Amino acid sequence: MNPFPMVWADIRALRWTALAIIVLVALAVAVGVAIGAQERALRRSSAAAAEDFDLLIGAPGSQTQLLMSAVYLQPDAVPLMDGRLLNTLAQDERVAGVAPIAFGDVSKGYVIVGTTAAFAGRWGRFAPAQGRLFAREGEAVLGADVSYGLGDSIAPSHGVLGATGRPGVAHEDEVGHRHAGHDYVAVGRLPRLGSPWDRAILVPVESVWEIHGLANGHAVDDGRIGPPFDGPRIPGVPALVVKPRSVAGAYALRAQYRQGGTMAFFPAEVLVTLYRALGDVRSVLVAASFLNALLILAAVLLLLIAVAGLRRRRYAILRALGAPRGYVLLVVWLGMAGLIGAGCVAGLLAGAVLTTALSGVIAGQTGLRLVFAIESQEIVFVAALLLVGSAITLVPALMSYRAPAVAGLRD
Amino acid sequence: MPVFTSLDRRPAAAARALQLTGIRLDHRGGDGRPFRVLDLAGLTIPAGARVGLRGASGSGKTSLLHLVAGLIRPDAGSVSWGDMVVSDLPVSARDRWRQATLGFVFQDFHLIPELDVAANITLPLTFSHWRIGPAEHERAAMLAARMGLTDLRRKAGVLSRGEQQRVAIARAVLLQPALILADEPTASLDAAHAAEVGALLVEVAIETGATLICASHDTALLARMDRRIELAAAPVVPVESAA
Repeated sequence: MNPFPMVWADIRALRWTALAIIVLVALAVAVGVAIGAQERALRRSSAAAAEDFDLLIGAPGSQTQLLMSAVYLQPDAVPLMDGRLLNTLAQDERVAGVAPIAFGDVSKGYVIVGTTAAFAGRWGRFAPAQGRLFAREGEAVLGADVSYGLGDSIAPSHGVLGATGRPGVAHEDEVGHRHAGHDYVAVGRLPRLGSPWDRAILVPVESVWEIHGLANGHAVDDGRIGPPFDGPRIPGVPALVVKPRSVAGAYALRAQYRQGGTMAFFPAEVLVTLYRALGDVRSVLVAASFLNALLILAAVLLLLIAVAGLRRRRYAILRALGAPRGYVLLVVWLGMAGLIGAGCVAGLLAGAVLTTALSGVIAGQTGLRLVFAIESQEIVFVAALLLVGSAITLVPALMSYRAPAVAGLRD
Repeated sequence: MPVFTSLDRRPAAAARALQLTGIRLDHRGGDGRPFRVLDLAGLTIPAGARVGLRGASGSGKTSLLHLVAGLIRPDAGSVSWGDMVVSDLPVSARDRWRQATLGFVFQDFHLIPELDVAANITLPLTFSHWRIGPAEHERAAMLAARMGLTDLRRKAGVLSRGEQQRVAIARAVLLQPALILADEPTASLDAAHAAEVGALLVEVAIETGATLICASHDTALLARMDRRIELAAAPVVPVESAA
């Protein structure tokens, strides 16, 4: 038997109702898919952004706050710690690399980060996409998304906490807080990292110190930058990023700098806690969206039962023309399960679109580049809905199967 | 009719004698009490006969057709088609028998309005076949032509009433049924269309050698039959021992 001509006729008969069923199911599926995929994309891209930050050391305070400020460049007032630690750590044999992360200034809404040339190139992991790294004070390397061009003069301003500047747009507060006479010159541009650092302007930490009227950390001011910081006075920094030589060394360093006026932590350990909370929220939202989808399926089921009731006569005619009961069952079931299936597929696509749109918003706010990917979780979500949908549409199908043909003919 | 018979490649299931014996059929009324719809001591319709059923509304014409079609079972008695006691068959066997043997024409046509003429005519084939072969398409087209339908691609929903009933007749005879049942086939048509449709119905029955049972008030249609049965209105008396 071939029920499909009848299935097609039934769907055509529903017209807009069929479309409405597909749209309803698709919306329910899309929300669930988007929540799951969005959370994973956020987790992955934020973990990727923290890749080069093995160990963070800062003044005692909130680890999360330091992580958000140093790794994700979310402006915040972070207490400074003793700058001499920079030199101590540089000489520690467990340390492969150490760099300050000094933030606080902005230009056209881009965060200016004072660090070393070595960390600007992430300890040799990549070379500038254009130009070169900074080599002397007053030079700057641009993140991939910074709208300045090479050779442009960059005027730094003191960042105002709570200023709602958008990257690439000079906030009105910037003019009033400009550090006059301390312009940087852009000499290079970094490749795209997919992290907030794409919107940062990287400069020598010495320049940041000097602009704020502090010493530059060197014994002899000969314009040389970078380690060793051997001056008698080394200004404070909000954060140090440390690249340990070994895992054992990393744990030893972390233990050692958790006392004596500093805190030390692996960004991964803070992220794991955050991800756990995020994951809990995700689970709740996914469960809620699944229940939401079930509610929609229940509403669709009621609608389909009503439709099957209205079609009693139509199916009775088929029976009188010689159709077996199984044919009627298949016509009803395939048609309705087909609509729900179409809704699920459309929902996956809509979920992809929704996730991509949300990712665009998140990228606009944070600089994190989120990549949409459908994985087994979403497939399981959709498959479960499809299964439930196929199962519940058996109800109207069985009703039509069991209905005596003659009752429909006498209506 | 040479045009038609040339299409009959498959031997049609031969018509057999239809025999109703000791039929009693009860319905439940609005008050929940059963009343007798049909009470037939015996009725035999020979193979290939054309029989008109006449009777006032409520006399059980439609119920008799449903009984013959195996859509309902009598409360007592039996319906036989040749040697086969149709009324004793289980549901699925009756479905198979119906598809193999029966063509049904309704008062209100009951086409599938979303399907075109060709798909409506070939619809009964999809009950048993996945694909409709070229031979069947050809037969459907010839049947449509025989019924005076030229455009097979028109949706059934836009056809005139007369055209719809002609499509319904083509659908009913597609599988070369040995038994054609028609329930008031002309009652929804104007006089001119009723005459045409009535003539076509009787013609195809003659061409295929099928038994035709036609419930109708239409005296012109009944006049085309070679036998007429008057169903008396069933006595509206409560039945004591109804199931």
